[in-house]
Amino acid sequence: MDLLQGTLEMLVLRTLGLGPLHGYAISKAIRAQSNDVLEIEFGSLYPALKRLEVKGWVSAKWEVSEANRRMKVYRLTDVGRKQLRQEHSKWAEFASAVARIMGPLAEGGKG
Amino acid sequence: MSLFFKLVHLLPGRRRAVEEEMREELESLAALAEAEGRRAELGSLTRAAEKGRAVWIWSWLEQFAADIRFAARTMKRDRGFLFTAVLTLALGIGANTAIFTLVHAILLKNLPVVDPTALVRVGDHEDCCILNEAASSREGSYSIFPYETYKYLRDHTPEFEQLAAVQGGGADLSARRAAGNAMSHSSRGEFVSGNYFQTLGVQPLAGRNLMPTDDADGAAPVAMLSCQAWQRDYAGDPAVIGSGFYMNTHPVTIIGITPQAFYGERMTETPPDFYLPISQEPTLGFYSARNKAELGWLFLIGRVKPGVPMASLQEKMSGLLRQSLGELKDFQTVQGKTQLAKAHVVLTPGGQGVANMQHRTASSLYLLMGLAGMVLLIACANIANLMLVRGLARRSEISIRMALGAAKARVIRQMLTESVVLACLGGVAGLLLAFAGTKLLLRLMFTQAIVMPVDAAPSLQVIGFAFAVSLLTGLIFGVAPAWISSKEQPANALRSANRSTHDGSSLLQRSLVVLQAALSVVLLIGAGLLGKSLNKLQHQDLGLETENRVIIDMNPMKAGYKPEQLQGLYQQIEDKFHAMPGVEHVGLTLYTPLNGDSWSFYAYVQGQSAPAPGQDAGTLFNRASPDYFKAVGQRVLRGRTFTSADTATAPGVAVVNQAFVKKLFKPGENPLGMHIGLVDIKNSGDFEVVGIVEDTKYQNARDEPDAIVFVPMLQSVHIGPPKDLDSSLYAGQFVLHMQAMPPDLEQQVRRTLASIDPNLAVDHYQMFEHQIEENFSGERMIATLTLLFGVLALVLAAVGLYGVTAYSVQRRTQEVGLRMALGSSRRSVVVMVLRQAMLQAAVGLVIGIPVALFCVRTIKSVQSQLYEVAGRDAGVIAAAVCILAVAACIAGIIPARRAASIDPAKALRAE
Repeated sequence: MDLLQGTLEMLVLRTLGLGPLHGYAISKAIRAQSNDVLEIEFGSLYPALKRLEVKGWVSAKWEVSEANRRMKVYRLTDVGRKQLRQEHSKWAEFASAVARIMGPLAEGGKG
Repeated sequence: MSLFFKLVHLLPGRRRAVEEEMREELESLAALAEAEGRRAELGSLTRAAEKGRAVWIWSWLEQFAADIRFAARTMKRDRGFLFTAVLTLALGIGANTAIFTLVHAILLKNLPVVDPTALVRVGDHEDCCILNEAASSREGSYSIFPYETYKYLRDHTPEFEQLAAVQGGGADLSARRAAGNAMSHSSRGEFVSGNYFQTLGVQPLAGRNLMPTDDADGAAPVAMLSCQAWQRDYAGDPAVIGSGFYMNTHPVTIIGITPQAFYGERMTETPPDFYLPISQEPTLGFYSARNKAELGWLFLIGRVKPGVPMASLQEKMSGLLRQSLGELKDFQTVQGKTQLAKAHVVLTPGGQGVANMQHRTASSLYLLMGLAGMVLLIACANIANLMLVRGLARRSEISIRMALGAAKARVIRQMLTESVVLACLGGVAGLLLAFAGTKLLLRLMFTQAIVMPVDAAPSLQVIGFAFAVSLLTGLIFGVAPAWISSKEQPANALRSANRSTHDGSSLLQRSLVVLQAALSVVLLIGAGLLGKSLNKLQHQDLGLETENRVIIDMNPMKAGYKPEQLQGLYQQIEDKFHAMPGVEHVGLTLYTPLNGDSWSFYAYVQGQSAPAPGQDAGTLFNRASPDYFKAVGQRVLRGRTFTSADTATAPGVAVVNQAFVKKLFKPGENPLGMHIGLVDIKNSGDFEVVGIVEDTKYQNARDEPDAIVFVPMLQSVHIGPPKDLDSSLYAGQFVLHMQAMPPDLEQQVRRTLASIDPNLAVDHYQMFEHQIEENFSGERMIATLTLLFGVLALVLAAVGLYGVTAYSVQRRTQEVGLRMALGSSRRSVVVMVLRQAMLQAAVGLVIGIPVALFCVRTIKSVQSQLYEVAGRDAGVIAAAVCILAVAACIAGIIPARRAASIDPAKALRAE
């Protein structure tokens, strides 16, 4: 399924809002949470992550995982958290507006 | 992350680190996915990395563009700041660029010839021009060679592709086109070996090159004409090529024109107009140097074959030199043999050719470079201060930006971008200033230049230099303000920034002012010392009188006079010029004091044994007509000077100076009536000493006066074999002592000389005082520029001090208001503010004076400039202290008065 412009970054922020994750885990989390509907190509997710890093919304740190692997783990910064709240309310507004327009279709119309 | 770490984000090294980290991360993810057996889910990691990299680069570029836009916008808002900063920077960068233009053009550039780096000069000094080979070495190191020795070295060194010889001095020529009734041009020639142009790899602009066959015995007389002379004297007429000329009355054919950029094998204010083969020297020159195996007069420069080791070549050539010189009589005496054992050559890089101008100017140029660097440092400190003040004014803006989430690194980068943009603006203005400045410098440096040896137009390297300096400057003055801004606490935006009293910038600002004061004291002391030294040089007692005297250069040899005609010529010159209205004395001579010329010989006193080996028995030699001493104002101490009775056939007489008496006679001996001789001990009965004159400086205005002996114009000194032409019989200059200076004197002089013989031209006409002044042109340039830099530094430091004081007064308005409300008098407020300003100046002095003294003591190029001035001249230091104190006072009094005029009621109400 295609994503709207800028949505990917919002999804990443939201995912990281739940806790720090490494790059691959973010991609798995998004898929799992969307019940496999959103399959984000890693080739798109990674640059989005870098964009967020450059903007200073997420920060990255090398950490050793439970499986004793050295992974680069991303977490939200304070600024990123603020940004997430903004995006979240904007999205909620947007989604409800779209939902109002797109309300249930009359099945089997008279025609 | 540290500030440093953030700054290096901008560097390529840091970018590589980012890439490396990305690669590591992607590999770790791949390994993880692999372990879970789902590697395919990640897709192409190369593509991911590529996109990730693009994010970095784009974001960097976008931010950079945004920073520049933002910088432009903020600066437009603040025109006063922009103007001050750009002007200050332009002065600093301009001064540095102007001097770098000279450093680059003179010291760093090679000759405009093919592969100059493969050229090698045989010798390491430039002693010139026609020297007895036995006396031409510097501690055994030979640089100027007889023609025979050149041929011997050339023919025994296959290591050279070519080894060329070129005359050490210049050849004085009177050149006239054969066709039509053309006028004679006083020109400069240079005798070169036939392979000269092949060695340098120079191709003619037109016509053909000089070839070794042109330099053979009996070859047709030919010459190459320089492009500059071709354009200047012959309007670039193509018919000149192949046409006949008369040079010093002998026919010569012009075969070609040298290329436009070519100026010979050395940089000089007087490049040669004609290049002539050495085979012509006995005909066109005046010394027959080519045929005298004992006369050193040629510099050697060659192109070495690739891969030849220099050390062994140098060793081999030293051996060859000893073999060649060993043939000479001078080297066969006991003394000569010890000298021969030490004889050697030093091979030096020849890319700059004969580098006398480089050696002459290097220390001055590096000194100026250092001074200009100091001025730029002061300018940097000034702008850093302005930026700090401005940064404080922008505190709330920056606090708000940080509160809104701007990263610290972003703020720093923004500030640095601003300072670099500012520096680049200053750099562009500085380049314009440098162009004008270079022209001024060249005029100060080469007062007598016929052709400016250096182009003032900025080259690519100079523009690059200016840009690099601007960038560096921007970073230097930008780092401190950026650092301080980034420490801003977002919360400060909410408070009134004006009231905080503790901030890092205030101490920093004061330190910058102290640094400025210290540097300007160093420059002021330098300017004072150099100025005083120049003053001493100019106003020393040279033992001469220069008022109402003109010096005229002529050359009867060029006009074709035979020795037997000279008596008549000199008589006519004396008579005709005496007849001119207002002429007091007419004096003929070989050369006048401090005109850059000299003759020297060994002198022997009759009855004394030959000087011991190593004893210096050399003395300057000159000739004088009866009126000469009066004409130059040289005082006679004892005995008499010459009269018209001292003719060529009369008994030999000589006049010596005090230094001569001291050097050659025993203490208490009466020289009058004793006999002396020149060149050889067997001549020691030639001249009776009839007079002693006061010491005067002839060769060098800085050194102690040299010993000198004068003989009458036409009495023989037995320089060479009797059949040889004695060129010392030909007067080179005469002096006119006038009662007053009529405005058309030069015209009268030219007419009078032409009325004696139309072939006899005035080669040069100059006031005596100007001739002496010219000796100090280098010192004057350095002193003028140091003073200029010193004043600039002082003004910048004063502005800096004013700025900081004014700012602190503004910030302390409420405090001052409170003090006054509590009963402080206006006077005590003035004193309080002034004390602070003076304290900074005083700390600057405490640091600056020892630094200045240390510099004067340790830097050789400073020491070599000083003449009879001690490095720690109390008067100069006191003057520098006073000047700085006055400047600090002026800079402090304005804000102090403003502080005193604060209305307590108003100041407290603003609370």
